[in-house]
Amino acid sequence: MAKILIPTPLRQYAGKQDSVELSGATVGEVLSALTTQYQDLRRQLFNDEGKLRSFVNVYLNDEDIRYLQKDATPVKDGDTVSIVPSIAGGSVAAPPEPATDALSKDEILRYSRHLIMPEVGMEGQLKLKAAKVLLVGTGGLGAPLGLYLTAAGVGRIGIVDFDVVDFTNLQRQVIHGTSDVGRKKLDSAADRMREINPFVQIDKHEVALSSENALDILRDYDIVVDGTDNFPTRYLVNDACVLLRKPNVYGSIFRFEGQATVFAYEGGPCYRCLYPEPPPPGLVPSCAEGGVLGILPGTIGLIQATETVKLILGIGEPLVGRLLLYDALAMRFRELKLRKNPECPVCGDHPTVTKLIDYQQFCGIPKQEAAVEQVFEGDIDPVEVKAKIDRGDPFVLIDVREPHEYQICHIPYAKLIPLGELPKRVNELNTADEIVAHCKSGMRSAKAVDFLKKAGFRARNMKGGILAWSDRVDPTVPKY
Amino acid sequence: MIRIEPDAWREMVAHAGAAYPNECCGAMLGSVEDGQKTVRIALPLENAYEGARERRYELRPEDLLRADKEARSRNMDLVGIYHSHPDCDAYFSETDLKNSCPWYSFVVLSVRNGAFDHANSWLPDAEQTKAEREELSY
Repeated sequence: MAKILIPTPLRQYAGKQDSVELSGATVGEVLSALTTQYQDLRRQLFNDEGKLRSFVNVYLNDEDIRYLQKDATPVKDGDTVSIVPSIAGGSVAAPPEPATDALSKDEILRYSRHLIMPEVGMEGQLKLKAAKVLLVGTGGLGAPLGLYLTAAGVGRIGIVDFDVVDFTNLQRQVIHGTSDVGRKKLDSAADRMREINPFVQIDKHEVALSSENALDILRDYDIVVDGTDNFPTRYLVNDACVLLRKPNVYGSIFRFEGQATVFAYEGGPCYRCLYPEPPPPGLVPSCAEGGVLGILPGTIGLIQATETVKLILGIGEPLVGRLLLYDALAMRFRELKLRKNPECPVCGDHPTVTKLIDYQQFCGIPKQEAAVEQVFEGDIDPVEVKAKIDRGDPFVLIDVREPHEYQICHIPYAKLIPLGELPKRVNELNTADEIVAHCKSGMRSAKAVDFLKKAGFRARNMKGGILAWSDRVDPTVPKY
Repeated sequence: MIRIEPDAWREMVAHAGAAYPNECCGAMLGSVEDGQKTVRIALPLENAYEGARERRYELRPEDLLRADKEARSRNMDLVGIYHSHPDCDAYFSETDLKNSCPWYSFVVLSVRNGAFDHANSWLPDAEQTKAEREELSY
C-alpha cells in the first residue's frame, strides 16, 4: 500500500481526505486506482487526452518521477506519492485587459444592490466596469468622488494629484485619515479606494496637470471629473475636454455655496460659455483664504459622482445646460439655464483656441507664483520683530486679520485693525511711529503696508504672517 | 475571499521589499473554511528562475512539497502562492497565467522603488486561459 497525499484544494474531490492509501505496483497504477475511485479527481489531474496536466508533477517520496522511471516507477509498501504543481511566472508579459464582459461571483455579490435594479442590472454594472474615469484632484471634491465611484464599481479610475496630506485637509477630505498626514495624497487615496473595492484599477498620476501633459493624461479616459480649486486648472481641464470631446463633470465650492454641472457633453455648453474670462487674480478667494464648510464638498462631490454614473449608464436626465446652485445655509437648490455660446473661443462655431495655451498667463497669474517667498523692500522677518519687542524698540505691531481669526491665535503685542477697517481707523496710528503689519501668511498685510505707505506712514510687512511666527518664534501659537 | 493575517502579511511585504529589484516568491499556509481562506503563515521560498529574476520567478516543486509538509505538520493547509512584481502593477500577467495552477490563490504584490504599493489575489482556471480576481484583505 502506498500513501497518496492530496493537496488541500483537491480534497473535496477525494472524500475530504488529506491522504488516501492505495495499492499498485507502479506510480501509474496507483494514480489510476486513485482516479478510478475518485472520478472527479481525474479531470483535475489529467487533460482531455488523458495526460497529466502541464502543471502537475508527481513525486515518489522526495523524487520527481520524471527523473525516475516516470509512470513505471515501482512503488513499495509505505511509499508516499505527492502531487505537486509546478508554478512560475513574472511580470514580463503585459497584463491581460480585465474582462469587462462578465462579472465574477464575488463581484455579483458585491454589486447585488445595483444588479437588482433594472435601470442598472447586469448590463449597467458591466458598463460601469468598462468605464474609465479621471478625477482631477483628490481634495474636498475628489474625496467623496473617489470613495463612491470606487464603491460603485467604475472599472478604472485615474487620480491626478501631487500634494501631500496635511492636518487642515482632514476637516473635509474624508478619503484621507489622521495617520495619512504627511503621505502623498495619491498613495493615501489609492489605499483607501483599494480597501473599498479591490476590483477597481487605480491609475496614479503624480503630476500637476499642465498644458504639456493634460491631453496625454485625459486621452485614456471616458469622463473627466474636475475637482480642482483654481482657475488656471479649471480652464485647462475644460479646454482639454472640449478638444478631446470628453464630458467634464464640474463642481466648485466656496464657504457655504456650491455649483455643479456637466460641461462639454454632446453639444452642451462648456466652462468658457459660462465664464469666457477668468476673474482678476485675487478677486475670488480660494478655500484656503475664504474657508469652506467641511460637509459642502461632500454634497457637491456626490452630485458630480451621481452625474458621472448617470452618464456611464446612459440613464436619467444629465445635468447638461443647467448650472445647479446649492446654498447650504438656506438649504436650497436653484438652477440656471446655460446655453452653448456660438462665439465661444473653444467650443463655438469658429473656435480660436484649438490647442492648449498658457493658463497661468490667461488667468493673469505671474510666471513665478512662488513670489510669496520673494523678499520685498522693507519686509521684516518674524524673528526680527520678536527681537524688537524684546529690546523694547518703539514701534507699533498691527494685526490686519479678522476678529474671528484673532480669536484663534494672536501675538500679544499686536493691535487688531482688520484690513477692511484700516482706512477709517488710520487716525489711530501715528505717522511718527514705525509700523509693522502682519496677517495670516503675509498677503493681506502687504496690502495694508501698501495703503499705509501711500498715506505717508513708515510701514513694514512681517514676512510669512502669524504662520511664520508660529514656525520660527513661538511654536505654541496654533496654525490654521 | 482570502484574508491574510498581520504577521504573515508583514512577512510577505518584507520579503518583497528585501528581494527588490528581483521578484520574490513564497507559499501561504493557513486554513480554508466554507470558501473563506485565511493565511496564518507566509513561507518565503527561493526564486529559482535562472535568468532575469527582476521579471520572472520560478518555484522549485521540491520547495513547494516542503511547504506542503510544513503545512501538514502544523495542521494547516497550503492555501496559495505569493510573488512580487517590481515596479509594475499587481496584475496577473500572461507569464503568470501560463505557469499557474488552478488549485491555489495567487497573491501578487506590487513593489515600487523597493516599497510595497498594492496587492491583488488571483484565481487562474485549469486551462490557464484566464484568472479571476479574488477579494483580498490584509
